[in-house]
Amino acid sequence: MTTVLAICVTVMVTVSVYLMLSRELKSIAMGVFLLGHGANLAILAMSGSPVLPWGGLRQPAILGGEHLVDALPQALILTAIVINFAVMGFFLTLLIVTARKTGTLNVDELAGEEPPRSSPELVSEPAPAAGLETPRVAD
Amino acid sequence: MTNHLLGLLVVIPMATSVVSVALVGRHRPQRVLGVLSLGSMLLLSLRWLLEIRDGDVLVSQMGAWPAPFGITLVFDSLSGLLICAGLVVALGCYVHGFSTLSPETERRYFHPLAQLLMVGVNQCFLTGDLFNLFVGFEIMLMASYGLLSIGGSRRQMGQAYKYLVLNLVASTVFVISAGLVYGMLGTLNLADLARIVSGRVASGEGLPTGFVAVSVLLLFVFGAKGAMFPLWFWLPDTYHTPPVAVAALFSGLLTKVGVYAVARTFPLVFAVGEARDVVIPLLVVSAGVTMFLGVLGAVSQHNVRRILAIHVISQVGYMVFGLSMMTTAGLAGALYYMVQHMVVKSSLFLCCGVMERHTGSDDLDKVGGLLRRDTFLGVSFFVAAMSLVGLPPLSGFFGKLVLIREGWGIHWWLSVIALLTGALTLLSMLKVWTTGFWLPPGSETSTPTGEPGGLRGAYVGIGFLVITALFIGLAAEPIYDIAFHAGEQLTDPTVYIEAVDPHGLVASLGGSG
Repeated sequence: MTTVLAICVTVMVTVSVYLMLSRELKSIAMGVFLLGHGANLAILAMSGSPVLPWGGLRQPAILGGEHLVDALPQALILTAIVINFAVMGFFLTLLIVTARKTGTLNVDELAGEEPPRSSPELVSEPAPAAGLETPRVAD
Repeated sequence: MTNHLLGLLVVIPMATSVVSVALVGRHRPQRVLGVLSLGSMLLLSLRWLLEIRDGDVLVSQMGAWPAPFGITLVFDSLSGLLICAGLVVALGCYVHGFSTLSPETERRYFHPLAQLLMVGVNQCFLTGDLFNLFVGFEIMLMASYGLLSIGGSRRQMGQAYKYLVLNLVASTVFVISAGLVYGMLGTLNLADLARIVSGRVASGEGLPTGFVAVSVLLLFVFGAKGAMFPLWFWLPDTYHTPPVAVAALFSGLLTKVGVYAVARTFPLVFAVGEARDVVIPLLVVSAGVTMFLGVLGAVSQHNVRRILAIHVISQVGYMVFGLSMMTTAGLAGALYYMVQHMVVKSSLFLCCGVMERHTGSDDLDKVGGLLRRDTFLGVSFFVAAMSLVGLPPLSGFFGKLVLIREGWGIHWWLSVIALLTGALTLLSMLKVWTTGFWLPPGSETSTPTGEPGGLRGAYVGIGFLVITALFIGLAAEPIYDIAFHAGEQLTDPTVYIEAVDPHGLVASLGGSG
């Protein structure tokens, strides 16, 4: 059981890292949310396998019984889910506002068009292009 | 000692935040309410700080659940000093905001968000439990995301994402490591963790497999929040874009909570036994690089707000320097330095805000001759800047003195870097002072944007913080005494463990059964 959980966590974290490396804010947001879910599954694994080594299952505390599942990690997950949910709401709202204001959700375009004060040397451009542009400005 | 009122430090701002949501659009009642809330918390925490000046620890178990099971709030010398400093900063920035924030910003929930930020900050400082520390972080970060994107100009939006994504990733790693700690040791209460870990090290049983990895993960989390060496890149832009009162609030509170988390958890739990040999070198290297590269970055800037923001990084390096020694005096020096830095740095940001109001810019090419125009501002800026540099009667001197003297015997080269950093700090502060305040303005000065009147709140805020900074410098001994108690409690956690008493219940159960 724990192995299955471990594989799930690995897959989710891998996918989320892939998504977060993208230049699109939408994908980054999805990556962040997925990472949160992966973390919750990882905590779930901390309450131990529900399958006992000598056969049989651990019972939830509410049902009673001899072998109980540790409920605390589940309480932690519940808290983490609530917080994740709030953050998700904020992130998505920010995405919508940004898209309305700037018309783009691409990281490069958002960072690229600074107000005119930031002079050309601050904008990271390949060196040859900058060199080509200089004489034209001089004209 | 038990004190059931500790929860007030979280409840008061929470209640104020809720009430001021209902009052949105009516500035006056919101402001009065906010000042009342911050002022009453400041008085309460000062009173408790006086109560514990001999090294006592105040503890409150929420809902009377005994320690390892319930939520514990702890008000000891470390958290007490930082809570007081945090509230002083918050009050100063809040009052300053009355005259520098646009009505638009105030209407967009500035007051509720500022109170919510204090809920998170106070909870982080008070809590005695790893998971609650996470919750405190999240509340603080939620409020800071909101404050950061108020108004929502294009540039603010672009920068908000950098901060948001980095912090979300760090928080997720925090949850995972909290889960791992629980899986390994079966508790999340810091005192209980400290008891178990030190017991296992003392009995030669050793730490569980993977404990060192969790320590390093947590160091990553707190390093990202505290802007330590490889994880500082979010900071300069974050402090550059928002309204100045917000930037000042952030500079005084956000990174310090990250450093506090290291100071609280590492000497107690995560830098014990084998973990110590891994964590300490990381801290040492991070301290040196953070200090030196931070100040180099600041020297190269020509924009007052950027200079101040990048100095925050360099000074986080000093605090980490103190923490990396893990000796009583080192930790005490780091704490004293942190307290004075919070107050001084915020007052510098507030001065920068008034400067922007006077000249419409914070670019050093475009400002000048401000001393003649506004003597109060000039004097305040000079006092705060010299405290930052560490000129003898002022507060920064004592912090640096303790750190460098203590560090000399442990990592002498870090002390050398610290001295060099101090010299470069002086250089960049003098640059601001000479071009901005002393020399006459250059030819291409910009014109003020707003009307110059109505700066009363700003002056009150700056004056309050600068006087507090002077007080911290002149009353260095009593404050350092409290910091020294904190250092003792961190290096020898028995007082902390006994105050929280996590195995009292276990013992009593064992006795009766």
